[in-house]
Amino acid sequence: MATSPIATARRNSELGLVVMAAAITAVAYTLAALGQNSTIPARIIPFLIALLGLLLSAHVATRMLAPGADGTLLPLAVLLNGIGYVVIARLSERLAGLQTTWTFIGVIAFVLTLLVVQRPSDLARYKWTFLFIGAGLLMLPLVPGIGTSVGGARIWVSIGPINFQPGEFAKIALALFFAGYLADNRELIAAGTRRIGPMRIPEMRFLLPVTLAWGFAVAVMVAEKDLGSALLFFTLFTVMMWVATERAIYLILGLVLFSAAAYTAYQLFAVVQTRVSIWIDPWSQYEGKGYQIVQAMFAFANGGTGGTGLGLGSPTKIPAAKTDYIFAAIGEEMGLVGATAVLIAFLLMIGAGLRIAMRSERAFEKLLATGLTTIIGMQAFIIIGGVVRVVPLTGITLPFVSYGGSSLLANWVLLALLIRISDSNARRAGEVPDQLTIGERWEARRLRRIERRAGAV
Amino acid sequence: MNKQIRKLAAALLVLYVVLFVQLNVLQVGKKEALDSHPLNNRQTIRDFNRPRGPIITADGTVVARSVPAQGGDQFKYQREYPTGDLFSNVSGYYTYSFGSTQLEKTKNDILMGDTAAQTVGGVFGGSDNSGSVLLTMRADVQQVAADALGTREGSVVVQDPNTGAILAMVSYPRFDANLVATHDTQAAEDALNFYNNYPGKPLLANAYQENYMPGSSFKIITTGIAFENGVISMDRTWPSASEWVPPQTSDPIQNYGGKSCGGTMAEVFYRSCNIPFAQMAVELGPERMTAGTDAWGIDQKLPIDLPGAVASNFKYANGELIDFENNMPLLAIGGFGQANDKMVPLHMCMVASTVAAGGRMMSPYVVDATLAHNGTVLERTNPEVWKSPITPATAATLNGLMVGVVNNGTGRPMQLANGVQAAAKTGTAQLNATGEPQRSHAWIVGFAPAEAPRYSISVVLKGTNDEISAGTGGKLAGPIAKQVLDYLFASEA
Repeated sequence: MATSPIATARRNSELGLVVMAAAITAVAYTLAALGQNSTIPARIIPFLIALLGLLLSAHVATRMLAPGADGTLLPLAVLLNGIGYVVIARLSERLAGLQTTWTFIGVIAFVLTLLVVQRPSDLARYKWTFLFIGAGLLMLPLVPGIGTSVGGARIWVSIGPINFQPGEFAKIALALFFAGYLADNRELIAAGTRRIGPMRIPEMRFLLPVTLAWGFAVAVMVAEKDLGSALLFFTLFTVMMWVATERAIYLILGLVLFSAAAYTAYQLFAVVQTRVSIWIDPWSQYEGKGYQIVQAMFAFANGGTGGTGLGLGSPTKIPAAKTDYIFAAIGEEMGLVGATAVLIAFLLMIGAGLRIAMRSERAFEKLLATGLTTIIGMQAFIIIGGVVRVVPLTGITLPFVSYGGSSLLANWVLLALLIRISDSNARRAGEVPDQLTIGERWEARRLRRIERRAGAV
Repeated sequence: MNKQIRKLAAALLVLYVVLFVQLNVLQVGKKEALDSHPLNNRQTIRDFNRPRGPIITADGTVVARSVPAQGGDQFKYQREYPTGDLFSNVSGYYTYSFGSTQLEKTKNDILMGDTAAQTVGGVFGGSDNSGSVLLTMRADVQQVAADALGTREGSVVVQDPNTGAILAMVSYPRFDANLVATHDTQAAEDALNFYNNYPGKPLLANAYQENYMPGSSFKIITTGIAFENGVISMDRTWPSASEWVPPQTSDPIQNYGGKSCGGTMAEVFYRSCNIPFAQMAVELGPERMTAGTDAWGIDQKLPIDLPGAVASNFKYANGELIDFENNMPLLAIGGFGQANDKMVPLHMCMVASTVAAGGRMMSPYVVDATLAHNGTVLERTNPEVWKSPITPATAATLNGLMVGVVNNGTGRPMQLANGVQAAAKTGTAQLNATGEPQRSHAWIVGFAPAEAPRYSISVVLKGTNDEISAGTGGKLAGPIAKQVLDYLFASEA
């Protein structure tokens, strides 16, 4: 195992923070049970052991597989996942059981991702594969027979007993494609060889793949009425283009296109009009579509500064409190203090992610880290902003917090990728010894064997 | 690319700051507006899961309290009223679906422990801050008054004339708050509907939320105003007469029962002749008479510390100012408490108190103090003078006249046990027009002991049945007042 003073320090602080996040979760879990039933949950000890075991294995995996990585990302994810779990457990015991399973699977996926992706640059090679995976996943819900609609949005796929939202994974796949493609072609796109008036336009053949991928993705998401994801994806694409080309024109172009798309969507889709009208005035539609957002506002007010206390509020009045509206449940029972803590956790995650992007010296890793961080940061903003009525509500999950297997799994994979890039930065900076990865060792052994065999001949 | 990433970080930070600001708006800035929004019942739900303090009488009887709810209830606490219907008109009710009334409403923050003084140091909640409300009223006196009143429609009000503190205030019909406070919404709604449709409006306290024609009991006020304006003196005598025709009409005014009546000031007062008081009102004229009734607090909402109190009426009828200048007969009849006069039973008790207390009319109150959870006093009610309609000299004169009523006149049924001297004025308000079947309210108002009054009382029985309508204030209401006052003096021993 690779060790260095810096790596040891990072991993030790990570361990401390993970234990703290786990402790917060355990205490909150107990408080929620006390608040609801005035009893300490019977399964608290097994729960604690399982929780600690799970989190420690995630930590040990980082220690072994990415020793130089940033030490704050994992604890932040643990904290958010933990808070989300407590709120879900307080709302529905059945879903809490499922969420436990998904958390286990998520952490396993996290470890597997670290294990499989040992050099971030390996991923760049598969950019076209990721494009097709992403496109395929996106379209899956539209396939008759397996795609299903829930709450108006056709974003679910049911194959046998398994239901999942492929869009959650498509986001990562498409971010990988963009990072890979733009890392290769960013200078060509930025330079622009053709002139139209004062503007320099890049060769269409360089621009075409990304614009096509982007247009396709947005079109599919709109067709699925998955407005939140479409908005998120739009932002992701614009940000990555802008960062890659270093040209503000793409930011402006993104905004113009966004305005046009938003206007068109408003004209074309009743669902968009509804969302906007309940955003502007939920009160007049209290009996109908405005009910949830009004109840969310009541929930926040009821929480006040310190919250009602876990298990003591009335978040069950909001039907979607476990998923889209989970932030309202947090605001009610944990108050401004708890809700702000969640905001800060996301901000710290964004900070860590973008720091990784800036430290990275390779365009692909830089762009990928930027993209993945943008996904987390914007997704949290879009859904929290919707719940607190800063923007019209578009139903997407709050990363790591909301109930939902696909979302949790995808976010743990995303986290592993960020940690992988961070570790790669540390190796390049010489903070940890740049040893061969397991895969490379196998490859080396294979080569040596071939050489030996060749020598023998 | 790092330059762009830095800008991206700044942009995301700004977005999250916007979220933080909006959170503050919702959770701090608009908290109260949202909490009290009519569509919002979270506060109610929360309140029903928090302890709520009791309402306790001066003699330590709990009239309202919260107890742990039965298993299976949707809330942790159930509000109950151990005294049943006895104090419901004062405590009001505290319900999940139908709001709250009376002290349960006005003292809600104290009872829940939500006032600033109670929540100091407890911003994060959790601890039991619930306060309690201590009444000036006595459960024993209330029970005696309720028993004396029985199932006759009307009310009994007992006051300390020197402070205005209310010792008993009972009305019939009344309601049982327990039936409305049940968490079974349907049962609560049925109970409310039942009470709303019940004749005599049990949800409204006759004692302070209704007003009735006062009859001759109003003569205390007319006499007081006449003395204050020097229109009469104790030397005045009135010739015996059975009829008198006031100005602007040919229709004569008669005495009660058409009898011939007259004599000295003391005699016409205890005999309760009508004509002398009609003449006093006319001699005073509309301006001085209404200035006088204003000074007695008539046509003004009573300043009791309970919601929904109404006003007595003299110069207003159905909300319109009466033109007495062009309707002198109405002024004359008003002088002896008929026509448009309407008095709140509580107000009549305050009138007796004013005479008893040497001319000062104190604001009535039922809340002695509010207490924090640990028993420390949050706020104690200080007695306040509301009106000073008469001088001590006039008060002394009226006191003497009212003693005469008890000793020689219509108030004889109120002669108290153990030689305690009472002072009173009766009233039999005639509701029917001439020729119709007799309908009358029976009143008595008074105080005791006359030489140093400690208790004042008003009793009214509504003329809703033949039995009451056939009687007089002295004969019907007098014994009730006697029963209550005798009990009060006996309880002192």
